[in-house]
Amino acid sequence: MTSLATKIKLYAEANGISNLDFRKDVIVKDFSDGTGAKITEWNIDSLAQPTSEQLASYNSAATTEENNNAIRATRKNSYGNIGDQLDLIYKDIVAGKLDTTGEWAKKIKAIKDANPKE
Amino acid sequence: MAYIGREPQIGNYVVMDALSASATADYTLQSGSTNFIPESANHLIVSLNGVIQKPGSSFTVAGAVLSFSSALTSNDSIDFVIALGNVLDIGTPSDGVITNAKLAQDIISSETALTDAPADTDELLISDAGTLKRIDYSLIKTVNTPMFSARISSNQSVANNTATTVAFATEHYDIGSDFNNSDYKWTVPETAKYLMNIRLAFDSSAEFYSALSIVKDGTGDIYSVQMGHDEASDSITGTVIASLTATHVYYITAYQSSGGSINLIGNEQQSEFSVFKLIS
Repeated sequence: MTSLATKIKLYAEANGISNLDFRKDVIVKDFSDGTGAKITEWNIDSLAQPTSEQLASYNSAATTEENNNAIRATRKNSYGNIGDQLDLIYKDIVAGKLDTTGEWAKKIKAIKDANPKE
Repeated sequence: MAYIGREPQIGNYVVMDALSASATADYTLQSGSTNFIPESANHLIVSLNGVIQKPGSSFTVAGAVLSFSSALTSNDSIDFVIALGNVLDIGTPSDGVITNAKLAQDIISSETALTDAPADTDELLISDAGTLKRIDYSLIKTVNTPMFSARISSNQSVANNTATTVAFATEHYDIGSDFNNSDYKWTVPETAKYLMNIRLAFDSSAEFYSALSIVKDGTGDIYSVQMGHDEASDSITGTVIASLTATHVYYITAYQSSGGSINLIGNEQQSEFSVFKLIS
């Protein structure tokens, strides 16, 4: 199930507001009482707080957004640390393979192919 | 010290109960039918047959027994025996004249020691701004209760960018029964300073930002910890000593902005919300 916050983010982006701060601009709380998450503070003067219907229209997009975020996280972990990647690139340079035939490029492509975004 | 007039005499001068002479040298001294033990023979004036006797030679004393140097007969007359005071009875001292130096320094250490904590109604002497008073032990003892500890029962999902009340549903202990493991809120039982400790662990190897907050019901955070996580770090902890007011209500929220939901790990080792009173 997608989070209310992700749908709010997409709603805000669709209305020209990016980089929402969910610690200041909008506060979403889940009191773990079985009633789900709620907007407890809406501090964006330039944009009206969305209705439930407006937010529901972002259900599918929010699911895609969160799935893709999970894929990004998986890919990031698989890429390994930056030092190791730079070492791989350096070796490709020395070998004259700073293109899609290089080891670094092949590794990155394999990870992306194994973890496609929606 | 010189005196004008008669020097005041302090002591317990006692005329012993009458003694009847008989064919024995030994007589038990009594006062009011109770055996009387003088400090020594020198503390007694003894008159026998109208003659004052010399202590130590004409008579001696051992405990309450006065012994003449030889046995008397029923024809003799013990006129009187006067005890010239008991040095242990010095009368009633005037107010405020007994100094520390006059007290034996083992008046505490020589007494029987309590082997358990004192009862609440046991009393101690205390100087209240220079005035000696007694005080019940209950008023000065330090007790770190009320206290409780609870953990998450099973993994709990925390949605992206959502301050989620952490469901500490399993209590380790709750002395005072002030924590509600149904709504996960703790009601401050008495106004005091408390130590509050929280441990949480996210089940994620991703890089993300998290925060935990102690939230005062109805007003907002009183304490918050933010933390950036990488693949090697998924825990977040917070400890605070706070002055809290009775009847106020607190709970814990967890927050993360990974882009999706992450579970809080619901086991004993990696989740805990505990509070105990430090001092009133």
